Amino acid sequence: MLTGLELYLGGVVLVLGAAFTLLAAIGVVRLPDLYTRMHAASKAGAVGGGLILVAVAVVSQDAAVATRAIIGVAFLLLTTPVSAHLLARASYLSRYKPGSQTLIDELASKNGQNPATE
Amino acid sequence: MNPVFLIIVLALIWAAISGNFSGLNLLLGALIGGVAIWLLRDAWAGPRSTRKIRRVLSLAALFLYELMASAVRVAIVVMRPDLKSALRPAIIAVPIALKSDAEVTLLANLITLTPGTLTVDVSADRSVLYVHVLDMGDREAVISDIANGFEKKVREVFE
Amino acid sequence: MTAELFIDWATLIALVLLGLALVASMVRIVIGPSLSDRVLALDLLTVVAMGFIGAIAVRTGLWLYLDIAIALALLGFLATVALARYVLLRGHADGEVG
Repeated sequence: MLTGLELYLGGVVLVLGAAFTLLAAIGVVRLPDLYTRMHAASKAGAVGGGLILVAVAVVSQDAAVATRAIIGVAFLLLTTPVSAHLLARASYLSRYKPGSQTLIDELASKNGQNPATE
Repeated sequence: MNPVFLIIVLALIWAAISGNFSGLNLLLGALIGGVAIWLLRDAWAGPRSTRKIRRVLSLAALFLYELMASAVRVAIVVMRPDLKSALRPAIIAVPIALKSDAEVTLLANLITLTPGTLTVDVSADRSVLYVHVLDMGDREAVISDIANGFEKKVREVFE
Repeated sequence: MTAELFIDWATLIALVLLGLALVASMVRIVIGPSLSDRVLALDLLTVVAMGFIGAIAVRTGLWLYLDIAIALALLGFLATVALARYVLLRGHADGEVG
């Protein structure tokens, strides 16, 4: 049964990646405000997409395909936090307030007379 | 890392991406790699110690582990039926002591992909990162986690 | 269960899960409420579409699909950057000081 090992492994990784992507989407629907939703989309989404590309690399058994897939994973892990950060910053600056449950907002006092530094 | 080794690595990457490992294609890759290294000869930082490579690998290993842990944690939070009570979101100011833009960028990206934290903004003088925390427990604990974990490792890699 | 049958079922389950993810992110795009929420959901939608293409690549064995998936990831990133700039500019255009 050792011949099909890469297929079993790739299949498990593929389903795992799809499950993480689905959880990210559920999080985006269920979480209460933009910034908490961003947690779900940036972390679970990046891991889900990355795992699917890893599955492609594992199943293909081809150095050229696997290299491109791994470069794709690296690219995804580099760009996802950048886009999340850009969107979070843009939303904050255009006065999109965090949800009412938010305990502390030290960024709000940034422009006041009391800078939130230690 | 000497230039010959680098040219061989670049040739292999070229062959892998273009999907053709024939001798002629490898030679073309080596040629392009050589030209690229020649063009970048002034920007070349000089020899790198193996200790630095080990630190980069250690940072990468920590990062991959934390990334998986964070995805699992977000997944667990999302699946809870009592979602509203499980969340204690907050935006806190985390003081950092990094010098260059590259270090701050790397740290901000690492923070975003690790459990329960997301970088929202950085102060103009690069001394404070504003971090959104999904489940706020102890403010000082979050700050010391970042300072003793990723910030320390990032500083080791760049020093 | 042979390996071929297993991968057949695995890709089918993955496609179903991704289909549900697609529906969920479209729900967020429709209900909003703000522009930033929709941009975030669109960003996730690109990742889901990339996952679809990856799963289909595994199912069919046509590895050329991988290039499309990577190109889509690049495009999704650039789109999100552009939309984030738009959110920022529009916020300032409202007359509020950012």
